[in-house]
Amino acid sequence: MTLPYLIDQLVNGLILGSMYALVAIGFSMIYGIVRLINFAHGDILTIGAFAGLAAFASADLPFPVVILIVLVAGAVVGMVIERTTFRPMRGSPQVTGFIASLAVSIILENLAIMILSAQPRTFRIPAYLNALVDFGPVSIRVIDLMIVVLAIVLVIALTSFVRFTKVGIAMRATAENYDVARLMGININRMIMLAFAIGSALAAVAGLMWGSKYGQISPLMGVLPGLKAFVAAVIGGVGSISGAVLGGYILGLAEVLFVGLLPPALSGYRNAFVFGALILVLLVLPNGLLGRNTETRA
Amino acid sequence: MLDLEDVHINRGGTHAVRGVSLTVGRGEIVSLIGANGAGKTTTLAAISGLLRPRKGKILFRPQENAPAIDLTTMKAEQIVAAGISHCPEARQIFGNLSVTENLKIGAYLRNDADGVARDLADIHARFPILHERGSVPGDKLSGGEQMMLAIGRALMSRPKLILFDEPSLGLAPILVEQIFEILETIRRDGVTVLLVEQNASMALEFSDRAYVIEAGEITLAGTGKELASNSDVQRAYLGAA
Ligand SMILES: Nc1ncnc2c1ncn2[C@@H]1O[C@H](COP(=O)(O)OP(=O)(O)OP(=O)(O)O)[C@@H](O)[C@H]1O
Ligand SMILES: [Mg+2]
Repeated sequence: MTLPYLIDQLVNGLILGSMYALVAIGFSMIYGIVRLINFAHGDILTIGAFAGLAAFASADLPFPVVILIVLVAGAVVGMVIERTTFRPMRGSPQVTGFIASLAVSIILENLAIMILSAQPRTFRIPAYLNALVDFGPVSIRVIDLMIVVLAIVLVIALTSFVRFTKVGIAMRATAENYDVARLMGININRMIMLAFAIGSALAAVAGLMWGSKYGQISPLMGVLPGLKAFVAAVIGGVGSISGAVLGGYILGLAEVLFVGLLPPALSGYRNAFVFGALILVLLVLPNGLLGRNTETRA
Repeated sequence: MLDLEDVHINRGGTHAVRGVSLTVGRGEIVSLIGANGAGKTTTLAAISGLLRPRKGKILFRPQENAPAIDLTTMKAEQIVAAGISHCPEARQIFGNLSVTENLKIGAYLRNDADGVARDLADIHARFPILHERGSVPGDKLSGGEQMMLAIGRALMSRPKLILFDEPSLGLAPILVEQIFEILETIRRDGVTVLLVEQNASMALEFSDRAYVIEAGEITLAGTGKELASNSDVQRAYLGAA
């Protein structure tokens, strides 16, 4: 094994980890505020990818504008899912919410197949994003650098928002106790919707990244990354944003290194490896790496 | 300032509050005393908009000669904005928020940053421990400290009326005494107080007027002194033989 090969693998791991982290954050934020897993969350990644494809194809838009369009598309879909599915279920048993979001996922996937056809499509990005940048022994594509940088920027922006702004504090208060948050004058519906909007916007950007990185998208592309990002969120500790980020990068790096460093005969087991890792972590740390025990809501 | 007129509230399928009427005058400390499950918390929840009564009116007059508004049609956040603050049962500090964040979130609806900063400084002066432990998560405080934090948080919205739900619950006697003295200073600062208590002796001592609630109905009303010397009250709530 050569050094450039190892660096390449690490970079690929960071890229995959960035995407897992962005999707995992949404799982965590949404779970944190409604105590439900949004099974349709992976499908937002698909929607983001197709929104990105449309934005790239329709006009010569600069990359930041494409990112913005994808963010907005994800946020809007997330808010619609919250308003139509999760809000009416509020106060019902948890299972009801799980089943409802599973239904949303099935509907979204089938709608996508009907409208877009199940055929994978090529995801073309402008040439300047495909250009190579030299870093001594290795050269890295511009888009790959952008994926990692964008993920880091988004994570920092989100954590600062949640930690330091008044609305961020109100969102954390809402996640902890609806009634007491209302006694502070917080409109909890708005906070819950905001959590869905932010989480979904990030998942959509991950979809844009996925398409840009791997060059192909399809209506069911979000399923497996969604599942793995969910694993990342659980490993990190569901409900914790930093846990989701940590879980995402650990999982992305581990998966790529597993495939890249072990004998090729084993690489077919990469998914088995991911879910095996989940079981191991949960056996040792039932609340994940950074999770607190927050099963109950007052 | 606050008038409940024949308020009925359902809670979890039970008719928990059955036709409660009571009045709180501007500048008063009024207490509502009653046993476990009598409907005290339920009554406060309806005033602050967490529960909607199925019948009756809750009229609030924020200013002396302003028209009264009916709280039963308002959302919790509108009621906070109108000038009512609710210090809930068991304190309900946000355990994941720091002490300072807990105080700041109490001022969530206010936009006067300077005023908020001044009030924060006032609360720090009144409860220095909240300043010292400002960056500590709320759930790391002791019971007494959490009570001070809950009071401080309730004051941060600059209310005209504060609802206290059993502030003495689970506190050592010396702290209970201290909490009641704080209520007295809050009233002296011009804030009206509606207090719910099981600790009837303290509540009656510090209240101008009081109501007794039993199984969702008001059974007695009077000044604190009158009720403290009422033989039924003594037998049921003051541990007299
Ligand atoms: N969440 C709930 N679900 C169902 N019933 C409830 C609920 N909370 C209270 N109740 C019922 O409503 C009635 C009034 O309860 P409430 O909490 O108002 O009493 P309380 O006077 O505040 O009692 P305590 O002194 O124990 O706090 C009780 O009969 C109680 O069993
Ligand atoms: Mg109570």
